Amino acid sequence: MRAVRELAVALTGLGIVLLVWWAVTETGLISRAFLPSPDAALAALQRGLARDLLAQTGATVILMFQGWLLASLVAIILGALIGLNQTARETLEPLLEFIRPLPASAIIPIAIAVFGLTPGMVLSVVAFGSLWPTLLATVHGFKSVEPRLVEVSRALGLSRLSFVWKIGLPNAVPDVLAGMRLSLTVALILAIVTEMLAGQQGLGTAILLAGRSFRAADIFAGLILLGLIGLISNLVLEAIEQRLLRWRAA
Amino acid sequence: MDGMQGAAGTVRSGEVIKPAIAFESVHLDLGGREVLRDVSFSLPSGSFGCVIGPSGSGKTTVLRLAGGFLQAKNGSVCVGGVPRSGPSRDVAVVFQDYGRALLPWRDSYGNVSLALEAAGVPRSERKDRIERLLTTVGLGKHLHKYPSEMSGGMQQRLQIARCLAQEPRILLMDEPFGALDAMTRQTLQDELLRLVSDSGMTVLFVTHDLEEALYLGDVVVALAANPGRVDRVVTVPLPSPRSQLATREHSEFLRLRRELFGLMQDGHG
Ligand SMILES: Nc1ncnc2c1ncn2[C@@H]1O[C@H](COP(=O)(O)OP(=O)(O)OP(=O)(O)O)[C@@H](O)[C@H]1O
Ligand SMILES: [Mg+2]
Repeated sequence: MRAVRELAVALTGLGIVLLVWWAVTETGLISRAFLPSPDAALAALQRGLARDLLAQTGATVILMFQGWLLASLVAIILGALIGLNQTARETLEPLLEFIRPLPASAIIPIAIAVFGLTPGMVLSVVAFGSLWPTLLATVHGFKSVEPRLVEVSRALGLSRLSFVWKIGLPNAVPDVLAGMRLSLTVALILAIVTEMLAGQQGLGTAILLAGRSFRAADIFAGLILLGLIGLISNLVLEAIEQRLLRWRAA
Repeated sequence: MDGMQGAAGTVRSGEVIKPAIAFESVHLDLGGREVLRDVSFSLPSGSFGCVIGPSGSGKTTVLRLAGGFLQAKNGSVCVGGVPRSGPSRDVAVVFQDYGRALLPWRDSYGNVSLALEAAGVPRSERKDRIERLLTTVGLGKHLHKYPSEMSGGMQQRLQIARCLAQEPRILLMDEPFGALDAMTRQTLQDELLRLVSDSGMTVLFVTHDLEEALYLGDVVVALAANPGRVDRVVTVPLPSPRSQLATREHSEFLRLRRELFGLMQDGHG
């Protein structure tokens, strides 16, 4: 029942946006050279998908996910180390605090020098940039273990490894998932921007090229795809989150 | 760790001689303050000992020493005749804040399972034991409830079940029923007495409720505050099994209650 209501509200919102969009273009308030009508954008989308837009979108999505998964893996392992281990914290934290404020775009030149203009270079930038939200969240998740549970595990004689696996990790899961959601948004942005800069095949480059040749409808077709990628990946993550955090909702 | 348990095991046969818990002239400073001064008392094996005293008299500190979470600077704390150097599996602890002591991401079954996993009990043997333990504490119908779906009383029962899964020789409890309503409290008191007499465990039970101490205890250690010290140790000569009505009206119960009542008031927290 609630789901139906939510869907109805969402669809209404979408309908209103489409209506305003249509009205603005129909009345000529904004020239169609800049803002195509919704049906023109949809037609461009259809045309694009029939050609190579799908493959380009696929390339971008795959890079985004690969970079994000790599970043998540590194972030969870590093975060667990830092969150649980005093020595690791003292050694790594200053270093990370130095690297973290660097804008991801600043490492693009380094990445190009190392990987050349390749998908691997885009991947490394995506992974670097989307590392931080998950890393910070994971550190917090492992640090915030209830002290009482530390005593409980001592009284039970739980081994250090079991403690990490059975108490530290589950305790960090809500934070890790929240961090991963933020990271995914960053990964999408970086995948698009980096492939634009490096001229790699992908959705970002497709949008850029459409812009350069004043094909407004094609730009909007690309934007619609971008929005869909964000929407769908967020929905999938939300579903995973709800499943893993059943004990919370209860 | 193994060595300790081995040593504790050999002591078992001589439990008539050695007290299960023995404090001898224990002094303890925490954060530059004298928290315990010359605390001595002992509990025979299989007895139910209660520690009472005003707030700040060091009840929790005594329990944490027995649990091995704190070390005494002077004097000795022995459990089963062995000086305490750290927590061990044969001493279980029931904390007052059950909400923090349970794993919120595990259901009742999983929470009890944690104790068996820690002890290396093979998976195939766990199921029966967990179900039996949860039935013992009255949670047989709630195997797969998460702590957040349970009342305070149920959560405390669950924590007790997890402690029993350790098969401890000694059970330490810090105001375990302090946060529960009066009815639940009395029910749990009686269930605890039944469990303890079935298992032969030695219990050290901290409470600031004098009547609870007299109702449950064979021995009551009364502490005074500033600094925490033993005011007196009384044996409670009330018949077992205890009964919520008869015991609380027993003349000896009333006499001890009157004798110790002033003590609980004098303390200025
Ligand atoms: N880690 C610590 N550092 C400094 N002082 C402490 C520490 N732990 C306890 N104390 C002090 O030791 C005294 C005894 O504390 P304890 O918690 O054992 O008392 P209690 O009898 O359990 O009190 P309550 O009835 O309030 O639970 C208190 O004055 C407390 O402030
Ligand atoms: Mg206390």
